[in-house]
Amino acid sequence: MSAQTSSNTSVSGSFTREAFEAHLAQVSHLPAWWLDRKRAAYERFASLPMPVRSDEFWRFSNLSRLTLDGFAPAAPVDFKDIVHESVGVSGAGHLVLANGRLVASEPLKAEITARGVVFDTIQNAFAKHGDLVREHLLAQPARLGSEKFAALHEAFLEDGAFIYVPKGVEVELPVAVFHYAVGAGAAVFPHTLVIAGENSKITVSDFFRSAAPKPGEGGSSRGPETRDPGPQFACGGNDLYAGHGSQVEYIAMQDWSRDTLSFQFNATVARRDARVLSLNLHSGGRQSRHESFSQLQAPGAHSEMLALTIAHGDQEFDQRTLQIHQAPNTSSNLLYKNALLETSRTIFSGLIIVDPDAQKTDAYQSNRNLILSDDAEANSLPGLEIQANDVRCTHGATSSRIPAEQEFYLRSRGINPALAKELIVFGFFEEIIGKITNSELHDQLAAIIRRKFKEQ
Amino acid sequence: MIPPNNPEALIANVDETATNPVEGIDQEVGNFQYDVKYDFDAGSGLTADTVNYISQVKKEPEWIREFRQKALKVFESKPLPTHWASNDLENIDFNKIRYYLSQGQKSKRSWDDVPDDIKKTFERLGIPEQERKFLAGVEAQFDSEAAYSNIKEAVSKQGVIFMSSTEALMEHPEIFRKWFGKVIPTGDNKFSALNSAVFSGGSFIYIPPGVKVSHPLQAYFRINAENFGQFERTLIIADEGAEVTYMEGCTAPKFSTATLHSAVVELVAMKGAKIQYITVQNWSANVFNLVTKRGLAHEDATIKWIDCNIGSRLTMKYPGVVLKGERARGEVLSIALANDGQHQDTGAKMVHAANNTTSNIIAKSISVGQGRSTYRGLVHIPKHLTGCKSNTECDALLINTNSRTDTYPAITVKGDRNSVQHEASVSKISEEMIFYMQQRGLSEAEAMSLAVNGFVNDLVREFPMEYSVELKRLIDLEMEGSVG
Amino acid sequence: MQSLEIKDLNISIGDKPIVNGFNLTVNRGEVHAVMGPNGTGKSTLAKAIAGHPDYTITSGDVLVDGASILPMEPDERARAGVFLAFQYPSEIPGVSIANFIRAALQSRLPEGEELEATKYYKNLYAKMDALKIDRKFTSRSVNDGFSGGEKKRCEILQMAMLEPTYAIMDETDSGLDIDAMKVVAEGVNALRGPKLGILLITHYQRLLDYIVPDYVHVMWDGRIVKSGDKSLALELEAKGYDWVKKEFATANA
Repeated sequence: MSAQTSSNTSVSGSFTREAFEAHLAQVSHLPAWWLDRKRAAYERFASLPMPVRSDEFWRFSNLSRLTLDGFAPAAPVDFKDIVHESVGVSGAGHLVLANGRLVASEPLKAEITARGVVFDTIQNAFAKHGDLVREHLLAQPARLGSEKFAALHEAFLEDGAFIYVPKGVEVELPVAVFHYAVGAGAAVFPHTLVIAGENSKITVSDFFRSAAPKPGEGGSSRGPETRDPGPQFACGGNDLYAGHGSQVEYIAMQDWSRDTLSFQFNATVARRDARVLSLNLHSGGRQSRHESFSQLQAPGAHSEMLALTIAHGDQEFDQRTLQIHQAPNTSSNLLYKNALLETSRTIFSGLIIVDPDAQKTDAYQSNRNLILSDDAEANSLPGLEIQANDVRCTHGATSSRIPAEQEFYLRSRGINPALAKELIVFGFFEEIIGKITNSELHDQLAAIIRRKFKEQ
Repeated sequence: MIPPNNPEALIANVDETATNPVEGIDQEVGNFQYDVKYDFDAGSGLTADTVNYISQVKKEPEWIREFRQKALKVFESKPLPTHWASNDLENIDFNKIRYYLSQGQKSKRSWDDVPDDIKKTFERLGIPEQERKFLAGVEAQFDSEAAYSNIKEAVSKQGVIFMSSTEALMEHPEIFRKWFGKVIPTGDNKFSALNSAVFSGGSFIYIPPGVKVSHPLQAYFRINAENFGQFERTLIIADEGAEVTYMEGCTAPKFSTATLHSAVVELVAMKGAKIQYITVQNWSANVFNLVTKRGLAHEDATIKWIDCNIGSRLTMKYPGVVLKGERARGEVLSIALANDGQHQDTGAKMVHAANNTTSNIIAKSISVGQGRSTYRGLVHIPKHLTGCKSNTECDALLINTNSRTDTYPAITVKGDRNSVQHEASVSKISEEMIFYMQQRGLSEAEAMSLAVNGFVNDLVREFPMEYSVELKRLIDLEMEGSVG
Repeated sequence: MQSLEIKDLNISIGDKPIVNGFNLTVNRGEVHAVMGPNGTGKSTLAKAIAGHPDYTITSGDVLVDGASILPMEPDERARAGVFLAFQYPSEIPGVSIANFIRAALQSRLPEGEELEATKYYKNLYAKMDALKIDRKFTSRSVNDGFSGGEKKRCEILQMAMLEPTYAIMDETDSGLDIDAMKVVAEGVNALRGPKLGILLITHYQRLLDYIVPDYVHVMWDGRIVKSGDKSLALELEAKGYDWVKKEFATANA
């Protein structure tokens, strides 16, 4: 491999050994096995090189902007310091973590807790549900190119959300987890761990938001100006484990500040007859990399992988996905839709792997790009690796503009060009947005998209 | 791949050394070897001396020798592309390959003048008969050099040049040098660099403005020697408004050691010109076939690659078109059939570089037994182009439970005035379909062959008649024994 | 013996018995209709006779002109003269009707003998005209994207071209509107004659208004429980299958 200097950062950047030791000291009360894992993770992080262009997993990525310098593990903040709007779905329970620490929460209703459902921080879960955490937390290896950053996540992970639903229990309302990065240069490592027992049902939503410390004299005017704290670093992950016959829905809204460098890793495990739906909205960040990895481990397992990206300015969204069918009669369906404005770039790289014994697999993968500007760039790398013959696997990728007739039709009704764009983008996204059945989540997601058009 | 004049007779003569159970009679057609005495032999292994030797026996001008030496350095500096391609590449021992073998550098214009030991090979493959029947010209390359090269008088009278590259370099340096290495630079990839260092043979074609060659020109590439590497270099230039169809076929005897074939093919279609390049690749199953093919299409020009890969151990080949002029059109139609022990890693590249250009890729692959077929594609539409369209369809058919297929396209689109689509599917032949056909009286094997031919039918229709018949026959033969 | 004889046939799918002791003899020149409610084993019978691998014949025999066809592969059974008109004909992408029928006819010729192309096309076009099938259809892929009616007409066309001695027609009327059914029935009637025995499998009586059977059999629980002439079909239509169920459920117990 040629030794190109593809990024202008040192191997560890701001995440030096001293910084790591300082972090370890903060979490020294956690179990020894976890601290050992963190130490091993730090060693992996420090020894792995930064990605280079010739790496297939980083094809088309803009590596020149990728730097680990200039960040610091974020300092504790108070809930009242954060400017934010709505919190979660009314009555459903939520956790608010800011700079990796719990700052506010609304517990689950007593009748739900009584049935054994746990909604708590990971730190608390270490003590109360140590075995479950140990079995599932970051149990799936990163396989899509970000081994280094996944190791960084594990090394510096301070706290996150833990959701456990026991056998046969169905939780109707979506629980919400808010992850705030507060202050310039803040580095955060959010994590959400969802474990759904046999025949259980749960919906979890993750919100990723940036905040500047609240201005002194109560000027809480909302909007991007006050919210935007400048460059931040977010390196988060989630584990979704869907047990036999369970249903897990996971909805994430990534709305970091415009200067954030963001990594997000998803690992989904679907057991027999389990159904997992994950839906990711990507809106914030300067450069955002999202890796999503679904394993269909037993017959009847199904994974629905959906993503919406609304890119503007010089944002880059880099999405890498893997659907592995490890057992017969499993199915997966991936639909990633990107709308590109201004000089934004998107990269979609997806792979379906069908293992040799996974006959009767039904897998679909689709990437649709709507390019709304002459300076935007969409890259698609849809891939298939099929080693069983009795399968139905298809993939498709399209990149297109707004059909001229469609635009004209809207204009002829008196709709101005900007609004026409907005309407068309919403139309383009509708087949995914429509999957969100909870109206509060639906509205929050739509609001993020709408704000993009105001920022333009 | 040329249809033999009398397959039964040829099969009777086949060496009985073949052990690979899955090869059909098709591959056996080329599986024979006569003893040939070589007057020129660069020996095994590749050094600066090898390159000098080749340049010297060819009496090349200094600029070519320098070009070759530079290329050798590039080849040596580039790693094998195993970070994305098959690790099987590591099994090529470049030190064991023989890089140049010939009886002389000048091809004959008449079969009567071709030395007997070489001529009988081509007669057995049916080349002279094909030439009489439907070709405008033929070149027959034996190991490193063309043994025979001729063009019908009526065609040469129109100003068409068709000769081996070795000779064209001497006889038409003004046209040759202008385009040589311009479409595919030496450093494009490790194997284009290798070819640039040791190239020998291949075709040179020039079609003058407005000339439409009605019958195909054909080249036949024969590898005869063991541990050999064939590195032909083909350059086709169709001047303004000219049209030509070029077909190439190839065979080699089956050896237990690896044989290397690494060609570079450059096409230049000037304004309004049309080039159709047809390959039916049927190397024996010990051949590493690592070929770089690219065309440059100027304004209103069309370049169409029809690429069929049936033989070889590992083929890596992604014919491309650079759409340089407005309204240029590029097309790749490809069929790959991977049987046990074979990996067909093929695809297409379309680089749009002007407004209103269109590209179309249709790739179909069939994996039989433990065969593996891979599609790799690249579609690139850079900034500020308008009205570009690109369409890709990839369909894979898996015959047996352990067959394998991969699809890896890469698509980049900038700007909001172009449209691109890519669709791929994987399927198998359903048991219900086979039963239905059996109920009409067809045997299971016949039903399977019919279904496979149906799968590729819409592509085969695009081929010239002689080739579609041959291809259908090859598929039938390859499918034999794949059921049950 | 110019007949298709089904003798005490038992068929199962996996471990589940579907057809139990089915007996019927269809002589050439005769049209037999087998009627029965859904799930009584009618389609199983048709597919098993044709040799479908999903069905196991556990006992009994099927004889064509006196010789058992059970040891034969599906294609050998077809070449022995048995034609199955499928309820759901398979689609074969890329293979044109003309080539398909040609290949099927070619497979019936002795080794080394070639089908004569001009004669073949003349014959094909004549039969297509009779079935009101547009000649353009010959270049379309077999059943690929066909409507229900087109598929069934394509089945009858194949039957006409391959000239079987025994035809089993599985729910040929399903998916057909009245006009399409008339065309199909006309096609079948044109093929009726002393050289052909027909076994017509149907759920509804309406097809039998157009293809008038010589014999009607009622199938229930995997066997024939009542036989008669065409009036039996009318009786069945009038009384409904519940009548059969009531009458014979007890008999089986």
